[in-house]
Amino acid sequence: MGTGLAIHRYTVTSAFGRGLAAHRAGLMSGRSGLSAHALADGSPCAIGRVAGLEDVAMPASLARYDCRNNRLALLALEADGFAESVAAAIRILGAGGVGVVVGTSTSGIGATEAAYRAPAFAERGALAADFPYRETHNVFSCGDFCRRYLGAKGPALVVSTACSSSAKAFGVAARLIASGTCRAVVVGGVDSLCDTTLYGFHSLGLLSPTGPRPFSADRDGIAIGEAGGFALVGPADVFGARGGLYLAGVGDSADAYHMTAPHPEARGACAAIAAALGGAGWRPEDVDYVHLHGTGTLHNDAAEDLGLAHMGLAAAPASSTKGAVGHTLGAAGICGAALVGLAMDAGYLPGTANTGARDPSFHSNLLLSGRPGAIRRALVNTFGFGGSNCTLALEWRP
Amino acid sequence: MIAYIAGWGVLGPGLPDAETAGAILAAEGAYRDGVARAPIAAGLSPNEARRCPATARYALDVGQQALRAAGWDPGEVPTVLASGSGDLEISDKNCRSLAQAAIALSPTLFHNSVHNAAGGYWGIATGSRAATISLSAYDESFAAGLLEALMTLGTARRCLLIAYDLPAPGALAAVRKVPVPFAAALALTSERPAGPVARLSWRWGPQDLEAEAPMAEPALEALRAANPAARSLPLLQALSARQPRTVSWTYPADGALRVAVAFEESR
Repeated sequence: MGTGLAIHRYTVTSAFGRGLAAHRAGLMSGRSGLSAHALADGSPCAIGRVAGLEDVAMPASLARYDCRNNRLALLALEADGFAESVAAAIRILGAGGVGVVVGTSTSGIGATEAAYRAPAFAERGALAADFPYRETHNVFSCGDFCRRYLGAKGPALVVSTACSSSAKAFGVAARLIASGTCRAVVVGGVDSLCDTTLYGFHSLGLLSPTGPRPFSADRDGIAIGEAGGFALVGPADVFGARGGLYLAGVGDSADAYHMTAPHPEARGACAAIAAALGGAGWRPEDVDYVHLHGTGTLHNDAAEDLGLAHMGLAAAPASSTKGAVGHTLGAAGICGAALVGLAMDAGYLPGTANTGARDPSFHSNLLLSGRPGAIRRALVNTFGFGGSNCTLALEWRP
Repeated sequence: MIAYIAGWGVLGPGLPDAETAGAILAAEGAYRDGVARAPIAAGLSPNEARRCPATARYALDVGQQALRAAGWDPGEVPTVLASGSGDLEISDKNCRSLAQAAIALSPTLFHNSVHNAAGGYWGIATGSRAATISLSAYDESFAAGLLEALMTLGTARRCLLIAYDLPAPGALAAVRKVPVPFAAALALTSERPAGPVARLSWRWGPQDLEAEAPMAEPALEALRAANPAARSLPLLQALSARQPRTVSWTYPADGALRVAVAFEESR
């Protein structure tokens, strides 16, 4: 769908640190923010951890929402003065005019994991009635926390489509604004480290023992990262016309193939890319940069490479930031959007941290190292379990 | 803004399918509680059917009812799946595995634990590569899904809304009270179908004194309150009785989705 929505403010918090300055420095350094980790059985892996979550204090009125995922949401909302920008938008538009759409895959399930390990659970065989399921584990918890913290009173919902969650959240925001339901929308993505995803990806043999090497021939899996990011989107004229980052299109599709394996001919990925290009009114040759989903697994990277070639995007400069901040799952879309916004602002084409050489069988124009270069039009790919795909078309307007 | 209903589906206690439910909901005093029949997940290969969790079965059952009633090929129809809690049976099993000294999570239970598992199985069963989204707004998930489906008609000709929630297993029953299973689906279109049709005019606005419309019959009101997907019942009853009315759903924030249902004859 064509949107042309302004992304008035955005912020991201990940293994690179809190806020845009830390990410700009991280992106341009070419370094990885991942650290070594070991599972309980000794299996090595890498993770992207956000420092300082243990010290976050939740507001007293939202104490029941206390869990790692909502702490990460709070930390991310407070970076770059984002929460203050939303407060300013609410002063102008009214609280009812501002919606909240957050993407997450596992929400605060870590709270339930911990409660199941507590001796009280073994004795009772059930969670205590006062366990804050609604405010932590439930999928909506993260969106509910954000809307309460920000005081936004437009529609609030959580999109949970695995790794495409926060990319699809941009689509909901565009529809909320196009239908006149909202005048501005806070789009977010928050996913935090938890055992469900660490041991789940381990059970599928998809965790790299050392760290992801996206699009390399010796790639052997992903590293899970945690991240929170937010964007305040609305029509260009709502806060006064200005240059900067715009959402030009959202392409949404399904693989209709398998729960975890991508379509071998990348049909779903192609459909998402085609829809994003169509919505933005771009031809493939207009695209200056592709932020790859590029998780570092054998099959996903191969399917994405094939999809780009099918769509006439093999020549477009492309890179993956999964070796830098990890695969942030439901937050991958908002992370990609924020990193692309930074790259556009800086006039810098990011490299693929952790990857030494491109798989020789691939066709994509993979950037191994970053270099100066203007990006006016970019795509952000996200592909998730359940064959759930979403591509964002982002545009920099002077 | 306007949308038309081309078909619907339902599965819950005492409401085994849209045709039976239509007659029950249209006749005062006809509803009898009961055990929900087992859902049918058509279109999956034997392997996929074996892996398909109960939540996805309910979603497939009601979604396929609605598409059959509408006479639509699923291929081009975007889907919106709304569930307050997703699959808590799977959360429970995974959290039990993670609490063991030697952790061995089932790969199938892990990939089925994603909130969009039902959406994934829908695509696999129908072959549809159309846009699909899975969302939650806790107890207001049906209204959130309906809002998203109605907004989707701004650019798409058709949209299928599927709402479902199932009871929590014992260990979570005290913290998430959904005593009965329920699922409902609406096939929505921006193009007026031929024949008599229900027309919806909708808007989002601030809450006012207009309370959420309950069901007149206590047994149906109890069912409506028992499951987030059963918040669809006032709308399903209006469709069944062909009774013009305005249905509203208050929302977690301070807004409400208001839908005026009208009936048009053939033209």
